[in-house]
Amino acid sequence: MTVKLLQFVNEKQSMPKKRTSKIRLEDFKEIYNNFNEKEARKQASRCSQCGIPFCQVHCPVQNNIPDWLKLAAENRLKEAYEISQSTNNFPEICGSICPQDRLCEGNCVIEKGFKSVTIGRVEKHITDTAWEKGWVKPVKPPKEMNKSIGIIGAGPGGMAAAEQLRKKGYQVMIYDKYDRPGGLLIYGIPNFKLEKYVVERRTQILKKSGIIFYQDFEVGKTKPFNYLKKKHDAILIATGVYKARDLNIPGIKLSNIFPALDFLIASNRKGLGDSVPNFDNGRLNAKKKNVVVVGGGDTAMDCVRTAVRQGAKNVKCLYRRNRENMPGSMREVLHAEEEGVEFKWLSVPINIFGNKQVDAIEVAKVKLGEPDASGRESPKILAKDTFKLKADMVIKAIGFHPEPLPKLFNHPSLQVTKWGTIKIDHETMMTNQPGIFAAGDIVRGAALVVWAIRDGRDAAKSIDNYLSKNINKEETKQFASL
Amino acid sequence: MNKIKLLKKNIFALSKAGIYNSKNEHDACGVGLVAAIDGNSKRSIVEAGITALKALWHRGAVDADGKTGDGAGLQLAYPQEFFKDYIRSLGVEPSKQNIAVGMFFLPRTDLFNQEVCRTIVEKEIVNIGNKIYCWRSVPINLDALGQKANETRPEIEQIFFENSKNLNEVEFEKELFILRRKIEKRIPSDSKKDFYICSLSSKSIVYKGMFLAEQIDVFYPDLNHKEFTSNFAIFHQRYSTNTFPTWSLAQPFRVLSHNGEINTIQGNTNWSVIHEPKMFSEKLGENINVISPIIQTGSSDSAALDSFYELLLHSGKELPMIKCLTIPEANYKNQKKQVSDFYKYCNAVLEPWDGPAAITAFGGDWVIAGMDRNGFRPMRYTLTSDNILFVGSETGMVDIESTKIVKKGHVPPGQLLGVNLKEGKFFSPKKLKKYLIKKNPYGKWIKRIKNFKSIVKTPNQKTLYFDNQDLKKRQIVSGWNIEDLELILDPMVLEKKEAVGSMGDDTPIALLSKNYRGLYPFFRQNFSQVTNPPMDSLRETNVMTLNTRLGNLCNILEENERQCNFILLDSPFLFTGEYEALKKRLKDKSKEIQCLFNIKKTSENLEKSIKKIQLESEEAVRSGVEHLLITDRKMNADKAPIPMVLAVGAIHTHLVRQGLRSFVSINVQSSDTMDVHTFAVLISVGATTINPYLVEHTIYDRYKKEIFNIKVLKALENYKSAINNGLLKIMSKMGISVLSSYRAGYNFEAIGLNRTLVADLFPGMPSRISGLGYQEIEKKVTNLHSKAFNEDVISLPIGGFYKYRENGENHYYQPNLIHTLQNAVYTNSYEKFQIYSKGVANSSTINIRDLFEFKNVKKEIPLNQVEPEKNIYKRFGSGSMSHGALSKEAHETLAIAMNRMGGFSCSGEGGEDSKRFIKLPNGDSKNSRVKQIASGRFGVTANYLNNCEEIEIKMAQGAKPGEGGQLPGFKVTEEIANLRHSTKGVTLISPPPHHDIYSIEDLAQLIYDLKQINPKARVCVKLVARSGIGTIAAGVAKAKADIILISGHSGGTGASPQTSIKYAGIPWELGLSEVHQILVMNNLRHKVSLRTDGGIKTARDIIIASILGAEEYGIGTTALVAMGCILVRQCHSNVCPVGICTQKPELRKKFEGTPEKVVNLFTFIARETREILSKLGFKSINEIIGKTELLRQVSKDNISVNTVDLNSLLVKAVSQYPVYSTIKTRNEVPETLDKKIIVDLLKQQKKQQVKKSSLKYFIKNTDRAIGAKLSSFIINNQSQFKKKQKIQIKLEGSAGQSLGAFLVDPIEIFVDGDANDYVGKGLSGGQIVIKPTKASKFVPHENVIIGNTVLYGATSGELFANGKAGERFAVRNSGANAVVEGCSNNGCEYMTGGKVVILGKVGENFAAGMTGGMAFIYDVKNILHNFINDESVIFQKVEVTYWQTVLLDLLKKHLKLTNSSLAKYIIQNWKIEKKKFLQVTPLEILDKLEHPVLIQNKEELEKKLA
Repeated sequence: MTVKLLQFVNEKQSMPKKRTSKIRLEDFKEIYNNFNEKEARKQASRCSQCGIPFCQVHCPVQNNIPDWLKLAAENRLKEAYEISQSTNNFPEICGSICPQDRLCEGNCVIEKGFKSVTIGRVEKHITDTAWEKGWVKPVKPPKEMNKSIGIIGAGPGGMAAAEQLRKKGYQVMIYDKYDRPGGLLIYGIPNFKLEKYVVERRTQILKKSGIIFYQDFEVGKTKPFNYLKKKHDAILIATGVYKARDLNIPGIKLSNIFPALDFLIASNRKGLGDSVPNFDNGRLNAKKKNVVVVGGGDTAMDCVRTAVRQGAKNVKCLYRRNRENMPGSMREVLHAEEEGVEFKWLSVPINIFGNKQVDAIEVAKVKLGEPDASGRESPKILAKDTFKLKADMVIKAIGFHPEPLPKLFNHPSLQVTKWGTIKIDHETMMTNQPGIFAAGDIVRGAALVVWAIRDGRDAAKSIDNYLSKNINKEETKQFASL
Repeated sequence: MNKIKLLKKNIFALSKAGIYNSKNEHDACGVGLVAAIDGNSKRSIVEAGITALKALWHRGAVDADGKTGDGAGLQLAYPQEFFKDYIRSLGVEPSKQNIAVGMFFLPRTDLFNQEVCRTIVEKEIVNIGNKIYCWRSVPINLDALGQKANETRPEIEQIFFENSKNLNEVEFEKELFILRRKIEKRIPSDSKKDFYICSLSSKSIVYKGMFLAEQIDVFYPDLNHKEFTSNFAIFHQRYSTNTFPTWSLAQPFRVLSHNGEINTIQGNTNWSVIHEPKMFSEKLGENINVISPIIQTGSSDSAALDSFYELLLHSGKELPMIKCLTIPEANYKNQKKQVSDFYKYCNAVLEPWDGPAAITAFGGDWVIAGMDRNGFRPMRYTLTSDNILFVGSETGMVDIESTKIVKKGHVPPGQLLGVNLKEGKFFSPKKLKKYLIKKNPYGKWIKRIKNFKSIVKTPNQKTLYFDNQDLKKRQIVSGWNIEDLELILDPMVLEKKEAVGSMGDDTPIALLSKNYRGLYPFFRQNFSQVTNPPMDSLRETNVMTLNTRLGNLCNILEENERQCNFILLDSPFLFTGEYEALKKRLKDKSKEIQCLFNIKKTSENLEKSIKKIQLESEEAVRSGVEHLLITDRKMNADKAPIPMVLAVGAIHTHLVRQGLRSFVSINVQSSDTMDVHTFAVLISVGATTINPYLVEHTIYDRYKKEIFNIKVLKALENYKSAINNGLLKIMSKMGISVLSSYRAGYNFEAIGLNRTLVADLFPGMPSRISGLGYQEIEKKVTNLHSKAFNEDVISLPIGGFYKYRENGENHYYQPNLIHTLQNAVYTNSYEKFQIYSKGVANSSTINIRDLFEFKNVKKEIPLNQVEPEKNIYKRFGSGSMSHGALSKEAHETLAIAMNRMGGFSCSGEGGEDSKRFIKLPNGDSKNSRVKQIASGRFGVTANYLNNCEEIEIKMAQGAKPGEGGQLPGFKVTEEIANLRHSTKGVTLISPPPHHDIYSIEDLAQLIYDLKQINPKARVCVKLVARSGIGTIAAGVAKAKADIILISGHSGGTGASPQTSIKYAGIPWELGLSEVHQILVMNNLRHKVSLRTDGGIKTARDIIIASILGAEEYGIGTTALVAMGCILVRQCHSNVCPVGICTQKPELRKKFEGTPEKVVNLFTFIARETREILSKLGFKSINEIIGKTELLRQVSKDNISVNTVDLNSLLVKAVSQYPVYSTIKTRNEVPETLDKKIIVDLLKQQKKQQVKKSSLKYFIKNTDRAIGAKLSSFIINNQSQFKKKQKIQIKLEGSAGQSLGAFLVDPIEIFVDGDANDYVGKGLSGGQIVIKPTKASKFVPHENVIIGNTVLYGATSGELFANGKAGERFAVRNSGANAVVEGCSNNGCEYMTGGKVVILGKVGENFAAGMTGGMAFIYDVKNILHNFINDESVIFQKVEVTYWQTVLLDLLKKHLKLTNSSLAKYIIQNWKIEKKKFLQVTPLEILDKLEHPVLIQNKEELEKKLA
C-alpha cells in the first residue's frame, strides 16, 4: 500500500525482456519473458490515474485499466484480476495479442513524452498470476434457468458470449466446425504470440462452467440450421470470416501460392502435434524457401514470423502503403524486422511468374495520393517502376471475406449485407430472424480478437434482455389468463 | 404602481415560486451601549447614545432614495417623569409607582384594523386589572423619512397604564411580558404584519425605525427633550440584505441588540420547539402556555434570540447567566477549572447559539455586552473617571476627553462585561466571570455527567454480524462501488483524513443520474458566505466540539444538578462494539427499531414502512424507552433497508411533532453511511449517534486482504478520526462550532426530492425543484437490492463518479468531445466546433439546464442584424485560476488570449508578477485585467491592485465553498514564493474566511477600501450558488459592488476534499435565477452586472445563462481544454502530463497551449451565440437577459415535467428599471479624508521643496481607510514622489476602520489616540505609529489601542502601537514588521513573513497555521506555552545574538516612535529582560533561515519535524 502511483515522471517505461531474435527463431515460444512482481508493480505505478482514462476509452472491451494498474502497483493481484475479468473473459489473451500500441497504450495520456504504461504486459502478469494461484474459477450461476442458447462458432466471440450467458444461468451449447474449440485463437494465431495452452485452459474452464461444446459440427451439414432453431430459445452466430480475399493478377493460379490461413493453420496444427500431410510433404512448410507474403495486417505479420521460424531462406513482405499507414501493429513489424524479415513498403505484386510452381513475383512501386474515406492515403501504382523478387512460396494475407452463410446454413431468409456479412440491428444485435443473433467478424468483417470478445459480451446482454422480456411476456400472459 | 405595491407583488410571486423566503434575509450592523455605572439616570447618557448611533452610519446601508435606512434605534430606561408629565398634561394624576408604557406600531392605512388592534390591547390590559391612562400618538417628523420608509410607516403610538395590583418590579415586568404575548396572539392574522410591540415595560422603552441613524432624533423629537433621561442607552444600526423596509426588524428588541448572525438559528429554533414540552418554571407557572411558542415563525435570528432571552429572563435567570448559557465561551485547555466546570454546565443545559455575535442587552438589574466564542465581531469599551461605560462596535463613537479615560479595552471572545445598575457596579469580563462561577457548585454538579469511555471499556472489539459473502451484497445495496472503497474509504483509513481531488464536478446532479447511489447525494451542504464567516476547523479547533449528550434532556429553565444526568460522548461516532455495549447496558431503556421493508409483500412498501417505524418509535418512547436504536443490519434477500436518512428524518420529526423528542436519543446503525457527508446529513436530520457497522466490516475485510499496512484497530481509529475531522469541517463551513447546535439543524438543501416528502420529513429544508417521491425512491432501492441479491457478483461496480469510467457515471467532459473541441480550436475550424457543440447538446441530461428547450416567441432575424462578435467578447472571462494552480505558461497564455479579445482573465489568488503589467513589444499583454483578492491575500499589494480594471473578491469557490485552501510546500517554487511573498518550499494556507469579512457590513468596508486603493476599478464579488443567495446578493449590491459573480457547484479547483467537490453548493441555474429575480425585485439589478460560471461549454449555455439573468460569463475548464487539458484530474498531485496544472519544469515543457487556440474557442462560442440570437429573433444579449419566456421545460431521460418543477427558475419579478447593468463606470462610494490630504499635499509640495511633507488632521471613527487613496495616488504619479521624501500624516482622535490600508512606502501615519479594526490591512511598505494622546492617564500597555485583524495580508512596512491589539493580530502577515504591547486570540495566525514583537500577553491559539516569519513574545509570566498552538511552530529563548539584535533594534524604534514606557524599561534592563522573550519560529522555515535560531532541545525538534 505504500506504493505511490503517478510515477511516470520518475520511472522509465520498460517491457519485460525479449529473448534475442536468434534464440526466438529456434522455437515458436512466446518472445517476451514475463514481468517479475517487482517490475510489474513498478511499471503499473507509472499510471497517472487520469480523470478520463483514454486507455479505457480506446479499449474495445472498456477495461478498467487504471483500476487494475493501481491494484497491480499495490500488489493486490487478486482484486486486480477480479476487476479485469469483469470486463474481459480472456484478459491474458488480450494482454498477449492485442495491438496495444494502437489501442490502450497508444492512447495513454503519458505516451507523449514519457512513453505509455506497459498496460498489456501488466494485464498478462495479473492474469498469469491468477491462473497460477487458482483464482480463475468456473462460473457458478446463482440459479439455473430453463432456457437454452445455441452458439455457432467456438472462437473468442462465441466463447465470451457463452460465458456471459452462463453467468446468468442459461443453458449454453456451442457448435464448432473444428476439432478443437478456440477458432482463430487456436488455429490462426501462432504460438509465439499466444501459446496454445493458454487457450486450452480457458476452454477447460468454460466446460467446467457447464457449457457444452459440440466439435466437428458443421451447421448445414452435421445438422440443419432448423434443428438448432428448434432446440434453442436463442441462437448466436459467431462463425468468424474465413474466406481469403484473392489477388487478381496474372499467375495467381500457380501452385505454392497459399491463403494465409492455410499456412497458419498447418503450422499451428503441427505445433499441437497433429499430423498435417500438406506440411509434412513440404508444401506448407517454408523451410529453405524464398517466401513472399503479401499484405500489411496482423495476419501478414503472423505469416512472415511463422515463416522465419520454419527456417525460410528469406522472407519478404510486400505492402502497398508505407510503414506509417500499416493496419498492423507497429510492434509486430519491429519484431519481424528483428527476426530478419524484409519489408518492401509501397510495393504491390502485379505479376507472378513460374511454371506450374511459382518462382518469381513482379512488384510495382506505389505512390500515395490523397487520403481516402478511411483517412489513409490511397495508393497509386506506378506501372513503370517495377522490380522482380525470387519466390518459392507466396502467401496471400490481404484479408478475409465472409462465407455465404445463408447458403451454407440452407437458411436463405437470413439477411446479409452487400459484403456478405450478417445484417443485424446494432441496438439489439439481432438478425432479421427473431431470436437469432450474430456477433464478431461475421458481422463486422475481419477484426481484432478483442472486438470479437466485446461483441460476444454485448450479444449475451442482448440475448438476456430478449429472453427475459419474453419471460415477462409469458408471465403477463399467465396473469391475464387467470 | 407605486414602489411598495410593486415590491409586494414581486415578493408574492417570488415567494410562491420558492425563490424568496424572508427567512433568508440577513442583517448585521453596529451596536453598543452607554451606561451610567452608578445607575443614576442622566440626560447625558441619552445624548451620548444618540451621538454614538450617529457615528455608526457607515455600518448600515441606505436605499436608493438616500433616506430609507435599514433600521436604527435606541433602547433607553423609561423616563417615568417625562411621561408622567405628559399624563398630567391631560389632567390625570398618575400613580406614584412606576407606570407601564407600551410602544406600538399599529396598522396605519387600514383604520379599521388599527382600531381592532387598539381594542385588543386595551382589553387585555384591563383584563389583568390595570387601569389605562391614555394612548399617545408619538410625535414624529416625516422629513426624516425616505419615500419607501414612509410608504411602509406604521402608526406609532404609546399607551400608558397603571400597575394597579401593586406588583413589585420583577413581578410587574413578568406580567407585562405575558401580557404582550397575549396581545400578540389575539391580533387577527390580517393585522399581524402591521402590528408590532417595540416594548412594553415599566423599565425601558425602544425608539426605532427605518430612518438613517443620524435622523433618529429628528424623527423622534421626544429624544431631544431635556427631561428625557436614562441610566443606559443601547443603540443599534442595522444593515440588511433586503430592501423591503420592515419597521419591526429594526433593533434594539425588547431585551437584546445583536450585531452578527446566528449560524445555528435553524438548529436553535428546532431545539427550542423540542425543549418546550419539558419547560416549566415556578415563576411563570401556567403562563408558559401563553408564551409558547418561544420563537415565532418568521423571526429573524436576532429576534429569535431576543425571544429566548426574554423567556429565560422572566423565568428568573440573570442576564449574564443567560448570555453564558446561550453564547458560552469555548472550553480552553488552560481555563481555570472552575470556569471550565461552569461552561461544562452551560453546555449540559443548552445547545449554544453559535455564530458571530456582539450583543448588548438590558433586563432585570443588568445591562451587558457580550461576544461570541470566536470573537467574530468587534466590541471595544471605554471607562471614564466620571463612571460612564461606553461599549460598541467601534472605538471613538463619542468624543471623550482623554484625561477622563480610565481604561480602554475590548471584550474578548466568548466573554462579557456588564453593569448592575441597581448596585451601581461595573463588572469587567474577569470580574463578571468570577461572579458567575460562584453562584452554584457547578463543579460538584457536573460530576454527575458520565463519561462514555467509563461505561464502554472496549470500544472497537470485533463485532461482525455476517459473513464475507454477505458483505458484497450489502455493499451493493448501499450503492457502494470500488471507487468509493479505493478513493474515499482507504485514504480515510490510512491518512486519517478525507481524500483530495481536483477540478470540478461534471457528473449529473443526483436527480439526473442513472446510477442511484443512495439518497445522500440529493442533499447539498450549506455554507457561509458574506453574511457570516466559515471557520477553520484545522487551526481553530480549540473552539469547536463534537461532544454529544446521550440521554434524557432536562427542563432548560431549571438550574440544578439534574441537568447533568447524561452520558457524554466525545463524538457521535459509535463503533459496533460500543453500540452493542450500549444496547446491553441500556436494556429495557432502549429499543431497537428495524428499518426495513419487505420487497416481496405488496402490503408493505417504503412509505407504509416509514409510517410504521414512526409509530413504533412513538410507542416505545411513550412506554418509557430513552434510547432508540435504529438499525438496518437485518436486511436480507427479502428485506431491503429504508434509506437511513428517511428513517431518521421520519422518526425525528414525528417525535418532535408529538412533543417527545427530548425524552429520547436517536442512535443509528446504518449500512449506507461511509463518507463524511453521509454522517453530516444524518446528524443534521436528527441522529444522536451513528454506528457505521458496514464500513467497520469493510475495513476488517480489507485489513484481512492485507490492503492496509496498519493494524485493524488503528485502521478503525483512523477512520473515526477522519469522520470526526470531516464533521468539524462541514460544521465549520457554516461557521458552527458546536455539534449539539448543528444537530437537527437541517443545514442542507435537497435538490431533486419531492417537496411534500421534504416538508414532511425534513421540515424547513429547501427543496426548490422538487423531484423523487416515496414511490420513485422505493423503485431505486429495490433495483439496487435485486442487483445485489439476484446476481453472482465477483466484483463491485467500478464507479466512475469521481473519475470517468466508460460504464460508470456520466460526465459532461466526454473523451471524444474533448478531442473534437481540441481539434476544432487547433485547426481553427468552426465546422468541427459545431460537431462538438452538437455532441454536447445531444449527450445525456446532466445539468438542470439540459431540461430546458428554447421557445420561439419572435420571428427569426437575419444574422447581420445581431450585435457583432466583438460586443460579445467583452462579456467573456476565463475563470479565476491562479498562477500556482496553473503553470506560468498556461496562466500567461490565457491572459494574452483574453486581452487580445477584450475579454477578462483573472489573476486568481496568489499575486501576479509585476513584469506582466507592462505590455509586450508586439502589443500583447500578459496583465490580467481582473485581480483577485481572496482570503489568503497572497501577493495583494497596492501596486497589484492598481494594475487592473476590476478587483474580484472571492467569497467562495464552487468546488469548496466555505473552505480555505492549502498550497503544499512542494508546489511552492521560487517563482511562486516570490509572487506570494513567502519562502520556497513552505506550505501556504488560505483561511476559510476573509478575516476582514465576518458580516455584510464588513464586506461593504472591504469594497470601500478597494475603491479607495484603486479609484477606477470595478469591484466584483464572487459567490457560490445556494438557496438564499438572492438576499445575500442584494446585500452585496447595497455594499456597492459593481459585479456579482454566481459560481455553480461544478466549478473547478486545484485541490479540494472530494466530498466538498461533490456535495457543496448548487447549480448556477438555481443560484443565478434567484439572484437575478431578487435584485430585480429590490430595484438593484440595473446597478450591478451579473456574471456566472461553472461548466459553461457552448453558446447554448451562454444563452440560457443570459435568459436566467447573467450578462457576463466565465469559461474556465473549457478554456483549459482548448489549451490541451484532458481532464487528468491530477492538479493536486503536481504531475499534470500536459503542463497546465503543474509547477514541475519537465512537465511544463509539455504545454502546447497558445493564445490562438483560446481565442478560437471564444470566437466560436461568440459566433454560435449570435446564431442562436438570430434564430430567437433578438439583436443583442441585453435583450434576452431575464426573458424566461424563451425557455420551456421538457421531459428527458425519464425525468418528467411532472416530478421536477423548474418553475422557480422561470418566474419573473417586474421592475421599472432595465434588468441589466446600466452603470457605465462604477458605483461610487463616499470620499475619505484622503481627498483633502491629497489636495493639501500637492499644495504643500508646490510651496516648498522640503524633504518631507507633514500634514495634521483631527479624525473620528467615521474617517475610514485613511491613506489608501493617497497610496494609489502615489503609485499612479510616481514621478512626483521619491521614496526618500517621506510624507507624514499626523492624526489625532480615533481612526476609523482600515487605517493605513495598503499604505505605500513614503507615507508615515502617526495617530495620537486609537484606531479601529483592520489597521494596516494589506500594508505595502508604509509606516503606521499609534500611541495614546499625551493627555491620557491610563497605562498604555494595559489598554487596547488597535482593533481586530490588524496587518491582515500585509506584505511590507511597519506598525508600532503603544497598547494592545484585538483578535487575530498580524493574521496572514507576509512581510510587515510590528511591535505591539499585547494581543488577543489567534495572534499571528497563518503568518508567512515579517517580524512581530509582542510586549505582553497573547491570547489563545497564538501562531496557529503560522508557516513563515517570526514572532518575539515578552513572556514575563512564563505562560506562553499555554496559549501557543505549536502544531507548526517551535519556541524558545532568543539565543542567537543576531536575533537579539534584530529584536532590540525593533524595540528601539518602537521607543523612539511611541515613547513606550514598557519598551524603555526593557531596553534599560536589556540584559535581564531579554531573557524573558520567547522566539517563535515556524518549523518549515527552520532549515531555510540565513541566520539559524538555536534550538535548545534538538531531539525534540527532530521528533517534531518527523
